[in-house]
Amino acid sequence: MARIVLIAEQRNGKLSEATLELCKAAKEIASMVGATPAAAVFYKDDSIAKEVAQYIPEVFSVVDAKLESFSADLYAQAVKAVVESQDVKGVLIPHSYDGVDYAAKAALAIGAGIVSNCNKVAFEGGALVFTRNTYNGKIQEQKSVKTDKFVATFEKGAFDKEAAGAAGSVTAVSASLGDSKRKIKEVIATMAGSVDISQAKIIVSGGRGTKEKDKYNDIIVSLAKKLGGEYAASRPVVDAGWTDAARQVGQSGKTVAPALYLAAGISGAIQHVAGMKGSQCIVAINKDPEAPIFNIATYGIVGDLFEVIPAIMEALG
Amino acid sequence: MKIVVLVKEVPDMESKFKIIDGAKIDESQIAFKMNDFDAYAVEAALQLKEKFGGEVIIISAGPDRVTKEVRQAFAMGADWGIHVNDPQIDAGDNFVVSSALVKAIESLGGADLIMTGVQSEDYQASLTGVVIADMLGLAHCTNVVKIDVAADQKTLTINRELEGGLNEVLEMSAPAVLTIQSGINEPRYPTLPGIMKAKKKRLDVKKAADLGVAELGEAGSKTKFIKMFFPVSDHKAEIIEGDAKTAAKTLVDKLKNEAKVI
Ligand SMILES: Cc1cc2nc3c(=O)[nH]c(=O)nc-3n(C[C@H](O)[C@H](O)[C@H](O)COP(=O)(O)OP(=O)(O)OC[C@H]3O[C@@H](n4cnc5c(N)ncnc54)[C@H](O)[C@@H]3O)c2cc1C
Ligand SMILES: Nc1ncnc2c1ncn2[C@@H]1O[C@H](COP(=O)(O)O)[C@@H](O)[C@H]1O
Repeated sequence: MARIVLIAEQRNGKLSEATLELCKAAKEIASMVGATPAAAVFYKDDSIAKEVAQYIPEVFSVVDAKLESFSADLYAQAVKAVVESQDVKGVLIPHSYDGVDYAAKAALAIGAGIVSNCNKVAFEGGALVFTRNTYNGKIQEQKSVKTDKFVATFEKGAFDKEAAGAAGSVTAVSASLGDSKRKIKEVIATMAGSVDISQAKIIVSGGRGTKEKDKYNDIIVSLAKKLGGEYAASRPVVDAGWTDAARQVGQSGKTVAPALYLAAGISGAIQHVAGMKGSQCIVAINKDPEAPIFNIATYGIVGDLFEVIPAIMEALG
Repeated sequence: MKIVVLVKEVPDMESKFKIIDGAKIDESQIAFKMNDFDAYAVEAALQLKEKFGGEVIIISAGPDRVTKEVRQAFAMGADWGIHVNDPQIDAGDNFVVSSALVKAIESLGGADLIMTGVQSEDYQASLTGVVIADMLGLAHCTNVVKIDVAADQKTLTINRELEGGLNEVLEMSAPAVLTIQSGINEPRYPTLPGIMKAKKKRLDVKKAADLGVAELGEAGSKTKFIKMFFPVSDHKAEIIEGDAKTAAKTLVDKLKNEAKVI
């Protein structure tokens, strides 16, 4: 029977959450198209393959000392080896840093069309229909694939994490891997800073809508101080040097879950939301009523933050 | 060094979007600009040119109006460019557009470095850089936040961004394709003399036939577009109405007494 195969992801031997989400995705998609769900694990030994087998009935394990750390070249080759040795209809890959680094290469290697950055999938009129965010999350589009096989990458959080169950089988797949065109020297932390915003109960966060460094300081920092909380920022604010990298919230920054997260002049891009959606109460202040941030906020004010925030300061007394 | 930068034009995301027949956005309502990530790529290329000499070539696929963004890159300091202008290419998916961009790069006899943005703000695909690298048989690295080129102009030390503030430091060799992440530098603003010079810089226009692109339009695509729509969320914020003063008062009251978080 044809298979829907997810590609597991690990860092330093630790399985990513996205892998467990894709276990769920593989099962759902497999049942839609009448296939069986499976996983493929590429690692230096089969320890991770055994771990993944707790979540999915069938695991293909490519073992090679070269696979201790991630390589786009080798992952694409390993995907090809699995697809050529098994009956595979679809390949699911996390839309993560490693995922985007090899997914397109894997798709070309197996001659499959690819739909990236998906958040939903359905089966309509005999075809899988993938839904994905476009235009910074303001518009969604649906696509299908014209080739026999497909590759799809999925946003983090698109599916719930699969729970562990009965242990599945682990089957070795041999692949003659070439050499990686890149040599990893080290992994370094770049966001070390004096502040740890992840401990704050109240966070006031400013985005590109705060316009410039002085205004960011005036408005965002002042309100944070008044509320006895920390100030934080979206990525463009950090990129522009208005505040420190240690205060960036999101996929490439900190993950926070305070009692109150107030987002001002932040559109609510998925990469930002990934770092703050667990907050207890979210307030969004944005002049654009269609900004995606309003889809996850508890309270929203549609308006100019330069008027609304001073008014909040005043109301606080 | 000979460096190619792929520049895409995208809508300003603060535009008011209208969808026509679930099939496309109403472009008459839209202001267009250079994809943010691509501005960082142009700057990264210019900094390497300043250090090692050589040329920076801009390639953009899109309709007539994208010359505006190409000229903006010229005004920043890029040397010349290729405008791939063919509706049959624009009508294709990422595979078709990438195939055309590859042909345009091949028409230059290749390059030492090819830079793209991490993603386009409109399609948010994060595919193009990896696809063209594979088609050209080149090494690649995505999400690049630091580039160090050794004196041999071949050995590259690259920081690849990872989740949660980590960077992978790696070594690779040119020629290579790098997808550039925001924050790697501070893109320069065009100067007035730059803008004057940009008007006279060479911009070759190529059609699919000139480039020998075989995959065209929907027929050449590996994926099929079905429809587009505004997201319907099962959760919507409770919008607090009124002028700034009234709304702020209500909000503070709700935060104190309803959510009890301040
Ligand atoms: C791999 C990757 C990783 C990323 N990691 C992160 C991350 O960790 N964190 C992160 O934040 N982003 C991250 N991003 C970037 C992300 O995609 C968005 O580009 C970013 O979050 C947008 O920031 P923003 O909302 O501040 O800016 P914009 O999207 O430009 O939004 C600005 C908002 O301000 C509003 N506004 C403007 N003026 C006013 C005003 N006067 N009053 C009220 N509202 C106003 C506008 O309506 C708009 O909604 C990442 C991107 C990629 C590709
Ligand atoms: N039509 C195009 N013309 C030139 N460059 C493009 C085009 N489409 C995509 N790119 C490049 O590919 C990058 C990633 O785009 P995407 O794969 O659509 O997310 C962009 O940042 C551009 O550098």
